[in-house]
Amino acid sequence: MGLPREAHVDRILRPVHRWVWGDFDRRVRKLIAFAEVEGDGGRDILRAAEVTPDPLLRRLYLAHAIDELHHADLFRQRSAALLQTRSTRLKTRFNASPLPGGHGLDDLRIDGEPDHRLLAFLHVAEKAAASRFAIYRDVVDDDPPTRAVFEEILRDEVFHMNYTYTQLARISPRSYRRHVWRARASRLWKRYLRVAVALAGVLGTVILTIQYFVLLPPFAWLARRAQRREPAGWTPIARDRQDSPASEY
Amino acid sequence: MKILGISAHYHDSAAALVVDGVPVCAVQEERLSRRKNDAAFPVAAIEWCLDHAGLDPAALDAVVFYERSMLKFERILTCALRAFPHSWRSFPKAMKSSLGDKVWVRGTISSYLGVPRSKMFFTRHHESHAAAAFLTAPTDRAAILTADGVGEWATLTVGHGQRHSDGGNGRTEITALREIRFPHSLGMLYSTFTAYLGFAVNEDEYKVMGLAAHGRPSMVDEVRRLIRRTPDGAFTLDLDYFEYHTTAARSYSSRFVDLFGPPRNSYDPIDLETADGRRFADCAASVQRVLEDTLVDIARALHQETGLRDLCLGGGVALNGVANARILAESGFERVFVPPAPGDAGCALGAALYADRIYFGRPHRDVPDHPFWGPPVDANDLARAAREDDQPVQELDEGALVERVADELAAGRVIGWMDGATEFGPRALGHRSILAAPHSREMRDRLNRDIKYREEFRPYAPVTPIEAADRYFELPPGGVRLARFMSGVFPVRPEWRAQLAAVTHVDGSARLQALDRSMAPRLYALLEAYGRRTGIPVLLNTSFNVAGEPIVNGALEGYSTFRRCGIDALVAGPALVMKRAASLARPVTEGVA
Repeated sequence: MGLPREAHVDRILRPVHRWVWGDFDRRVRKLIAFAEVEGDGGRDILRAAEVTPDPLLRRLYLAHAIDELHHADLFRQRSAALLQTRSTRLKTRFNASPLPGGHGLDDLRIDGEPDHRLLAFLHVAEKAAASRFAIYRDVVDDDPPTRAVFEEILRDEVFHMNYTYTQLARISPRSYRRHVWRARASRLWKRYLRVAVALAGVLGTVILTIQYFVLLPPFAWLARRAQRREPAGWTPIARDRQDSPASEY
Repeated sequence: MKILGISAHYHDSAAALVVDGVPVCAVQEERLSRRKNDAAFPVAAIEWCLDHAGLDPAALDAVVFYERSMLKFERILTCALRAFPHSWRSFPKAMKSSLGDKVWVRGTISSYLGVPRSKMFFTRHHESHAAAAFLTAPTDRAAILTADGVGEWATLTVGHGQRHSDGGNGRTEITALREIRFPHSLGMLYSTFTAYLGFAVNEDEYKVMGLAAHGRPSMVDEVRRLIRRTPDGAFTLDLDYFEYHTTAARSYSSRFVDLFGPPRNSYDPIDLETADGRRFADCAASVQRVLEDTLVDIARALHQETGLRDLCLGGGVALNGVANARILAESGFERVFVPPAPGDAGCALGAALYADRIYFGRPHRDVPDHPFWGPPVDANDLARAAREDDQPVQELDEGALVERVADELAAGRVIGWMDGATEFGPRALGHRSILAAPHSREMRDRLNRDIKYREEFRPYAPVTPIEAADRYFELPPGGVRLARFMSGVFPVRPEWRAQLAAVTHVDGSARLQALDRSMAPRLYALLEAYGRRTGIPVLLNTSFNVAGEPIVNGALEGYSTFRRCGIDALVAGPALVMKRAASLARPVTEGVA
C-alpha cells in the first residue's frame, strides 16, 4: 500500500491549505500543534504496547510509538528553528502558561480496548494523516527544511498504515474490513462531536461575555470596594472558625 | 473506619485510602493513566485503591475531597470581578472550566462511587497540606507551614499541630493561626518566573531551581520590587507586574518584561554561554534567593512564636529542596519534616487523615514512615514480556541479584530498578529508579543524552545509606531527616566532588537521599554491595521515566521504557533483563508483519 490518494475535498481545499501554510505564524502554530498531537499519539501507542497480550503487536506498537515520538521531535525542532528566525514579539506568543486540565474529547482509550479496534482506528488515522501530510509537503515547497520533515514523516506513516492493516487482517481475518468501516464511522462521529463541542463553546463564550458586560459591573464595583478594605499581609484565622465538614463552602 | 481521600481537577490528582487511622494505599492518577500530571478526576486511582483493599464503594465510611470547591469558585469569580473589565477574555473560560465540572464535586463523586451525600466531606486545601505534612511525620508537636500557588483563598498558612499518644485516646489538634491570601503568593511568584523562563507552570518549577545554581542572584533587587514585605512579617506582591490574577493567558505583565527583559521562548535551548542564557540563569538565581529569604524569615518568626523544635512543611513550595535546607539551617527549628508528596497529590492522603483525626476525633495512629503506597511490581510480567521478545532473562535469588547488579553498576551500566510498591509523590526513592555510577560527568551526560533526554543544566541526585551520608555530604543537624525523602539540597564535601561528579551540581550541592535500611532494604543492600566494589556506597538515583512521561508503574511500563532508551539492564523482583545490542532497530520493516 503506497500513499493514499488525495481526497476530493482535499483537492478542492488545496488553495486553503496553501493559504494557511503561507502565513509564518500559522505555519509555526501548526507545527507546534502537530508536535503535541504526535507526542500524545506516541504515548497512547506506547500504552497499547504495554497492555497488549500479543508479542508481535507489542514490538510493532513499540516501534510505532518510537516513530511518533520522533516525529514530535522533528516538528518541535522545526518550529523552534522557524521561531529563531523571527522577532521576539512573536516568540512571546508561544509562551502562554498552559492551563492544567483533564482529558479531552480526542482521548484514545487504550486500557481495556481490544487490539482489533485499536488497529482499525490507527489504520484509518494514519491513512488520513498520510494524505494530509502529503498535501502539506506539497504546499510548503517554498520551505525545503519543513518539506523534508514531512517527507521523512510520510515514509513512516506509510509503514504505520500498512502494518496496522496487515495485523488487523491477521488477528481478525473474517471481519477486518468491518472493523475498518466501523473505525471510519467512529472517526466521523468524533469529528461531528468536535464541531458540536466547538460550536457549543463559542455559544457559551458569547453568552458569558454578554453576561459579563451586562450583569457584572455593579458586582465588580462592590468587589473592588471590598478589596480596598482588605489589609495587606497576614489574615488571622479565628480559632473558632466553624467549617462544616460536609460543606463545600 | 474506611476513609477515601481524593485530590483532583487542578494538577496531579490522586486517591488515598485510610483504614482505622492508617494509610493502606495511595497513588497518583498519572501513574495509572500514564498522562504526566494528570488532573482528571482520579477514577483509576480510586478503583485501584478500592481493589487493593478489597473494598466496595458502599463499604466506605467517608469520602473526603481535598478542598472546598465552592469556596475556590468564589475566589475565581471574585478575582474576575476585581479585574473587571480586563478579565473579559478569561471570565468565559474560567466559568466554563469551573461550571463544566470542577464545582460539581459531590455529583462527580456520587456518579463514580454511588456514595450518599452524608458520607461526603470536604477539607480546606491548606488543611489537607498541613495534615499530609504533620500527621505523617514522626513528631508529637510541631509548627506547620504550608505554601503553594493557591488553594481556595490561602496561598501560605502557618500554624501548629499537636497529638497525644497517651494510650491511644488522645485527640489530635491542627491549629491554623493565619494565612496569606490570593493573589499574594510565593508559589505564584515562582511559577511566574517558571513561565517567564519558558518552562511549564505547575510542572517545571524544579527546573528553575536547577537553573538557579548556574546563575548569580544579581537581580535580587528587581525581584524585591515584585514582592514587598509587610510590617507584620508577611508579604504582598506588586500586582502591576503580574497577570495571573486577571487572565489565564499569561502570568507576567509587560512591566515585568520591561524589568527583566524578553522572556525565553520555550523551544529555545538555554545556552549558558550566551548573554541571554546567563540572564535567564541570573533571573532563576534571584527569584530562588528571594523565595528562600522570605520562607526563612517566616519560618524563623514561627519558631520564635511557637517555641517548638519541629517544623512540618507542606504544599508545592516544599518541593524546593534548596529552600528547605536553608530553613533547617537558619530558622531555628531542629528538625524539618517534608512528606514524600507535599504537593496536591499528597492532599488526598492529607484530607483522609484530617477527616480521621479531626472530623471524627479518632485517636492518633503512627503512620509508617515510608513513601511506598502504590501498586506493586509483578516480576512475572517482566519475565514473560522479555522472553516473548527474545530478550535474555535471568531469575536470581536476592543475594545473587544484588551482587550481579552491583557488578553491572561498577562496570558503568545503567540499571532500571523496580522493587515492590511504587512511591507516592514526585520523587523516585528507590522503588522506581534509574541507578548508575555517580562518579563521572560522562555518566551524567550519557543519562541526559540517551536516557532522560533532558536539559544539561539539571542535576542528578545521589542515594547513600544514612550511616555513610555524613562522610560524603555536609549535613547540618537534622539534615539526615530532610534527606530521607530527598527533600533537601546539601553541599557535597569538597574532597569527594571529583569522585561524585555525576551527582554534584555546578554549585557543589546535591539533592541527597539518605536511605534507611528499613525503608528500602534491597536498595540498601545494593548500596553496600556497590560500596564494597568501589569504596563509595553512593549511587546516582533518578526517576524511572523519560522526559514528558510519568514515572513507570508496572513491570511492562518499565520494560517499554527500557526497550526504547539507553538503559542497559532492568530489574523487577528477582528478574534481571540485560539489553541485547540493537534490540529495537528503527524502523521495523513490514516483513515483521
